[in-house]
Amino acid sequence: MKKETEHTFVKLLEEHQNIVHKICRMYTYDQDSHYDLFQEITIQLWKAYPKFRGDAKFSTWMYRVALNTAITLYRKSKRKPQTQDIEQFSFKIKAEEYDDTTEQQLKIMYAAIKELNDIDKALVFLYLEGKNYSEISETLGISEVNARVKMNRVKKKLKDILSA
Amino acid sequence: MDELDLLRKDWKNQEENLPHFKAEQLYKMLLKKSSSIVKWIFIISLIELSFGILMNILFMDDQFWKEVDTIHLKTATIVIYIISYIITGAFIVIFYKRYRKISAADSSFHLMKNILKTRRVVKYYIIYILASSGITMMLFYIYTLKYTPAISQNLEDTSWFTIIGIGLICILVLLLFLWGVYSLLYGILLKKLLRNYKELKNLDF
Repeated sequence: MKKETEHTFVKLLEEHQNIVHKICRMYTYDQDSHYDLFQEITIQLWKAYPKFRGDAKFSTWMYRVALNTAITLYRKSKRKPQTQDIEQFSFKIKAEEYDDTTEQQLKIMYAAIKELNDIDKALVFLYLEGKNYSEISETLGISEVNARVKMNRVKKKLKDILSA
Repeated sequence: MDELDLLRKDWKNQEENLPHFKAEQLYKMLLKKSSSIVKWIFIISLIELSFGILMNILFMDDQFWKEVDTIHLKTATIVIYIISYIITGAFIVIFYKRYRKISAADSSFHLMKNILKTRRVVKYYIIYILASSGITMMLFYIYTLKYTPAISQNLEDTSWFTIIGIGLICILVLLLFLWGVYSLLYGILLKKLLRNYKELKNLDF
């Protein structure tokens, strides 16, 4: 029975692992920390899995456990990143899809996101993943109105960085 | 167009650059040990909760009881021990119940709140240990001076006010030092959690 549960869990995790990788990329600055956080998230997901009842989608449940691990449970302290680290280990932009100005704008935005605080990063991440405010507020445990207000502040912050 | 909408459009492309773990690698990860903050709070709390019990066992030898009898504190010591075991037991039960409530599948705010509540149980236990140790130390200090003839003869010219004052200051310095070490330990461990908890809590105002 345990083997079967383990098999199902690993299959689901393998299928949805991009969610975890994207969170790791948001919250870490080098490959070692990325794998370290991925590992801790995997352990936390596995520990919480017996209580996963299947009435929610696996991916929705996964967002919650993975983000909680990144912003609350993960113990390793964040090393202050150097600018070149952020550029080397960050989000990659497919240059041929954009003109120079857009490409530059995206680069600045991805770099700015990496410098946001943990909660703002979580908000932006869920927003970029296409989650609505009701889902964002449920994941973080704040009201929908506050999630919206906070998100508008983050948007303004990013806009200011871009226009600076 | 909204700046974030531009990012949202590009976001899907990010999946192409992400690493990919095979099932065998994921199986191996399940066997690894967690190093989460909750695990550390649990381990440290268990050490703290057993600290009082360990101290009692280590010091309660025949010699100790003989000395306690000499300074007329045998009955008082037995009563203090019984009460302290009952209180420690109650703290362990409350701590365990709170610890079981911590779930990574909760909302972030509730998870943080539950961790902080669990830690608060141990914090109150430490306050209780420090306060009761202070009172016990003071009691032993006064009775030792009073009922040890060699010491009481030497202190004949010194007023009790000075004697108690010196004892009180020494005990307070020691307790403050212990409290400082304790706060530092949890301060380091919970720095990130407290920062994020405040950030979420402030959203409500």
